Amino acid sequence: MQHASGSRHVNVERWSRGASALHCIDARAKLGALLVFLTAIATTSERTPGIYAGYFVLILVAITMGRLPIPAMLGRAALVLPFSAVFALVTWWAGDPAGALVLVAKSFLSVLAAITLAASTPWVRLLDALASLHVPRPLLLVIQFLYRYLFVVTDQAARMRLAASSRQGAGNGWTRSFHAAAGAVGVLFARSWMRADGVYRAMLARGFTGHFAALAVTPFHRRDAVFLGVSAALAAAVRVVL
Amino acid sequence: MSPAIPASAKPVIYVRGLRYRYPDGTQALDGVDFQLQTGECVAVFGANGSGKTTFALHLNGLLRGEGSVEVCGTRIDGSTGAGALARVRTRVGVVFQDSDEQLFMPTVLEDVAFGPANLGLSPEAALARAREALEHAGMAGAAAKAPYHLSSGEKRRVALAGVLAMEPEILVLDEPTTSLDPPAQRDLVRLLRRLPQAKLLVTHDAEFAAALASRAVFFERGRIAGEGGVREIIERFHWSRESA
Repeated sequence: MQHASGSRHVNVERWSRGASALHCIDARAKLGALLVFLTAIATTSERTPGIYAGYFVLILVAITMGRLPIPAMLGRAALVLPFSAVFALVTWWAGDPAGALVLVAKSFLSVLAAITLAASTPWVRLLDALASLHVPRPLLLVIQFLYRYLFVVTDQAARMRLAASSRQGAGNGWTRSFHAAAGAVGVLFARSWMRADGVYRAMLARGFTGHFAALAVTPFHRRDAVFLGVSAALAAAVRVVL
Repeated sequence: MSPAIPASAKPVIYVRGLRYRYPDGTQALDGVDFQLQTGECVAVFGANGSGKTTFALHLNGLLRGEGSVEVCGTRIDGSTGAGALARVRTRVGVVFQDSDEQLFMPTVLEDVAFGPANLGLSPEAALARAREALEHAGMAGAAAKAPYHLSSGEKRRVALAGVLAMEPEILVLDEPTTSLDPPAQRDLVRLLRRLPQAKLLVTHDAEFAAALASRAVFFERGRIAGEGGVREIIERFHWSRESA
């Protein structure tokens, strides 16, 4: 049975359960490589297109290594564009078109890299990796619940949309749909709240005390260290050489 | 049908004068007296809003009202400490009406292992228990699947496996047949018959209850209005589709 929402994050979740070479790398190594990569992008001040093309090629290599669908990955990363475009337009109007393009490129590449990590690492492994980096436990709990309730809310929204569509006449204009959607947001919030309460209660019933016990202790292999070293070296090389 | 319970059997759940009022003022339970014996299976009938689910949530301390609730000799009230509450929750496994609320880990195996891991078992032991519980629930083949890819019947079985993995002495099932098709209901009856635990079936489904329970209670406005054999209670309170 398919997930009710058929949502984008469900696809990322499915991709994360692959068995490619990238999937087999320890989450800590991939997380470390991502941090180096993001630092390299963030500290790049040059505006030559070649350097950003270099970063893009590195991510494409990782996506290929993970046997992930390139068009779909690019599509998901493009979701950030409307947000970064606002700031890019302001920069453009301020008389710095090259800066605007750099801003768009940096945000797109950063998100694409982060999605590559998420699509090649089961989220529990990712949380374990964050815990091993001593990320504060309350923050990890927030991430964990945020992820869990993402499914709760999108499921609820999908059901409501289905119910609304089944009662919507052909002659309804967009303003009526807009009003219906605005009302639905409030109902969605209330229902999601109740559902979240039920989820938490079910967790308590199975002995949850505020701490997610790790179910796997994975050793850090030499190949993981090699992956981290090579990735960091390549990102640094693009940053310095190009 | 479950075997008759010997008169000497000790109650695993002992409730006296239980009252509970929700924060909005609704008096959900108004003096409930109830006992569940070791290995017994009891059906809880009653209209929507009669207090059945509220009662079930008191049995492992998810709600705590006035009166006396004892589970395997441990009293649950406002002063019950976290340690005692944790012990009670290992003894009373609650399978919730909506399986989606219970299943939240990325894979079925990890979800079923969630409870044992909370008991302090090592990852290997928790996963071993989860595999055993899945085998017991007939869901071993789904261990690596994501819970949201399962059918309603499969989700219900996995939710039950998640509770069985904690090796409880008592099972509380809240509307277990909701959204199950007839074959899935039959499978669930067969599965529950094999389980030795004492069971409390909170249900509207008279046929399902009659297939499993030896006794029934009927809730009305937060009280137990009647108690007896399952068929007797069904007829007395006209609790079937055929009743006038």
